[in-house]
Amino acid sequence: MWEFLIPLFAATVQSGTPILYATLGEMMTEKGGVLNLGVEGIMSISALAAFWVSLVTGSPWLGFLAGGLGGMALSSLHGFVCISCLGNQVVSGLALTILGVGLTHFLGVSYVGLSAPGFFPFDFPLLSQIPVIGDIFFKHNMLVYISFVIPVLFWFFFKRTSLGMHVTATGEMPAAAAAAGLKPIALRYFAVTVGGFLIGLGGAYLSLAYMHLWSNGISGGRGWIAVALVIFAFWRPGRAVAGAYLFGGVMAFQLRLQAMGTNFPSSLLLMLPYLLTILALILSAWRGKRIDAPAALGTNIEPEG
Amino acid sequence: MPELKFVRPIHIRPLPEGTQPVVSLKNVTKRFGKIIANDSITLDIYPGRIKALLGENGAGKSTMMSLLAGRYPPDEGVIEIDGNPMKFSSSKDAITAGIGMVYQHFMLVDSMTVAENVLLGQEGSFFINPKEMMKRVGDLAETYGLDIDPAAHISDLSMGERQLVEILKLLYRESRILIFDEPTAVLTPEETSKLFEALWRMSEQGKSIIFISHKLEEVIALADEIAILRHGKIEGEFDTNAIESKSDLASRMVGKEVLLEVNREPAQICEPVLEIRHLTGLGLTDINFRVRKGEVVAIVGVAGNGQKALIEAVTGLCKPPVDTVFIMQKPWRKFFAESTWNRSMCYIPEDRMGLATLRNQNMVDNLLLTTRKGFSKGPWLNKKRAEKDTLALIKKYDIRPGRIHALAWQLSGGNLQKAVLARELYREPRLIIAEQPTQGLDVSATEEVWSRLLEARGMAGILLVTGDLNEALQLADHIAVMYRGRILGMLPTSDKETPGKIGPLMAGVID
Repeated sequence: MWEFLIPLFAATVQSGTPILYATLGEMMTEKGGVLNLGVEGIMSISALAAFWVSLVTGSPWLGFLAGGLGGMALSSLHGFVCISCLGNQVVSGLALTILGVGLTHFLGVSYVGLSAPGFFPFDFPLLSQIPVIGDIFFKHNMLVYISFVIPVLFWFFFKRTSLGMHVTATGEMPAAAAAAGLKPIALRYFAVTVGGFLIGLGGAYLSLAYMHLWSNGISGGRGWIAVALVIFAFWRPGRAVAGAYLFGGVMAFQLRLQAMGTNFPSSLLLMLPYLLTILALILSAWRGKRIDAPAALGTNIEPEG
Repeated sequence: MPELKFVRPIHIRPLPEGTQPVVSLKNVTKRFGKIIANDSITLDIYPGRIKALLGENGAGKSTMMSLLAGRYPPDEGVIEIDGNPMKFSSSKDAITAGIGMVYQHFMLVDSMTVAENVLLGQEGSFFINPKEMMKRVGDLAETYGLDIDPAAHISDLSMGERQLVEILKLLYRESRILIFDEPTAVLTPEETSKLFEALWRMSEQGKSIIFISHKLEEVIALADEIAILRHGKIEGEFDTNAIESKSDLASRMVGKEVLLEVNREPAQICEPVLEIRHLTGLGLTDINFRVRKGEVVAIVGVAGNGQKALIEAVTGLCKPPVDTVFIMQKPWRKFFAESTWNRSMCYIPEDRMGLATLRNQNMVDNLLLTTRKGFSKGPWLNKKRAEKDTLALIKKYDIRPGRIHALAWQLSGGNLQKAVLARELYREPRLIIAEQPTQGLDVSATEEVWSRLLEARGMAGILLVTGDLNEALQLADHIAVMYRGRILGMLPTSDKETPGKIGPLMAGVID
């Protein structure tokens, strides 16, 4: 039993990590009041950017950074359209996904099958010695270990720093933030770009630590899972971790099932994340609990006067 | 002044000689397009005093305060603080200069705690400690004797408590000039009394308070001095003890000209179109009255005394008890089951840009909102005819801009209301429910709405719910005064003594 479960859980962490990065990125963006449906496109583009930079420079770390910056650049475009031009957030986000996925296909075609320097698993000193826990959590690559820290930082940022509070206020009620002397426009740009950076890191993980070689359609719907997960997690980083690993687990399990040669249709399992999100929403509505979406999510800040 | 609802917490304080104003406005002018919202205003605010700024809706009170709060700069003139001319480029500048503002709509983040809201933008450091924040705000509240839990979430607070949070925000910022924009509009009478005591205490501590209101008795009960704003100009400034009576103040507020009047020819009164019999429930107690075709019945009262529930019960927005509401002589349920789009009931809601119209739709679609059945044949909608009729209505009612493709939000308040009225009268109603139909409108638009409503008596009975006594007196045949869910009196406007009786009844005083 353990021989089956421990590798499954380890694979869960491995495949949940890119989803975790992207979910936290989208959560950051939404906390500032901006809905970014371009996650799928941003992940694709940044996966390619990371792959390319790593291939050219030979440094996976530079590649990782390039992934983040690529995500930042693409979401700045979304930010400009929505925050400065008051464009529709849903339309702009969907356009971004189509643009990002398409562009990645076009630019990445000559790299298919190539591999770039990436991140490889190593045993984390000391912690990997812990039985079971060590096997599941501490025999991965560096990017996985980084992803353990980010939710904590995320929580700390929103609960223990004034900037985090300002971003929250901007996502809830920009007028109140403005009346308190804050600059809601700048704060929204901040949330969108930092969120885009995190989404980009998720993309970089795919091409540098997960696949190790370039293939088309590398994001494989993970961006959409991230969007759904933000709702599933009720905008809380702790629940995002649980959700990301849950869906990562579903993906890992599904691969295993295929490998074992069962004829259980894998597409049914791949559908599970979306189904779970819908169930979570129904459940929370049924229990009469408030869904803690930022109150101004999806609405633009109209200029005064 | 026997009819005052509030006990004055303090006597009017005389202004010590030689006191320097903390804020001076000098010839401040602000225009929005062609409209002059503030016309060369000169005003001094002194420390330790409460100054009331009295004016009707649209007199320019809020614009003036937004200028002070740094929301936008004046077009002409200067604002001086302690004798130094200031140029505010944002609200932050005004906050730094010591000006704090409590807006009519609270600027609070519902999902955050009291402490977080008070300290928003004033945390003092990058890292924050929620416990320490709550202690800081708790101490502050205690210092000023305000009773509030700093850990509570705003969404769990009453309107009065939310206002305390707004006040705490200003106190924390050590604002010296506190501006309150119609602070009592959302408060219960008890909360209002509490607010007044808090305001008075703060003024004793040397704060200057500007109290914006159009409620006469509150102004008389609270202010040390009163400035009257009318059509964007200061019409007069005087000490509160220079006022002899409420009506004296009222006539100063509306100026020397007579209140707006319309010529109300009596109309032929026919069968009842609305009857309310022993309606109890929904916060109402034993409501009885009827509206007949050809007459106007006005419901007046201080907002929040059951008018909303009554309207909802009549218009079908909520279910009244069985056999209490009869429309066109049919029980409520039967009427709505058989209701047609025209020759029926229409509702002109208070909330023009929410309940009445869709802000991002054009005039044609907004017309179709309630009249679509008149333009449809099976599943098909005859848009051509709707466009033609919209154009005709725009002409008839002079709705500007005169384009059918104008979106609702692009219309001014007056034009939007004319559009709603045009649409509803197009349905040739037999019963019209008009809720605050001229609130926030200028004189000419008000006159237009009034005369259209009076004209409509030829086909309908009108139930008018209004906060404007003059409107009720001008339009109605009978005035019902509501107080705490009851109708305390049904007064005929033909009686000369009626105007004098309404005030006490609104305050719940029955002889």
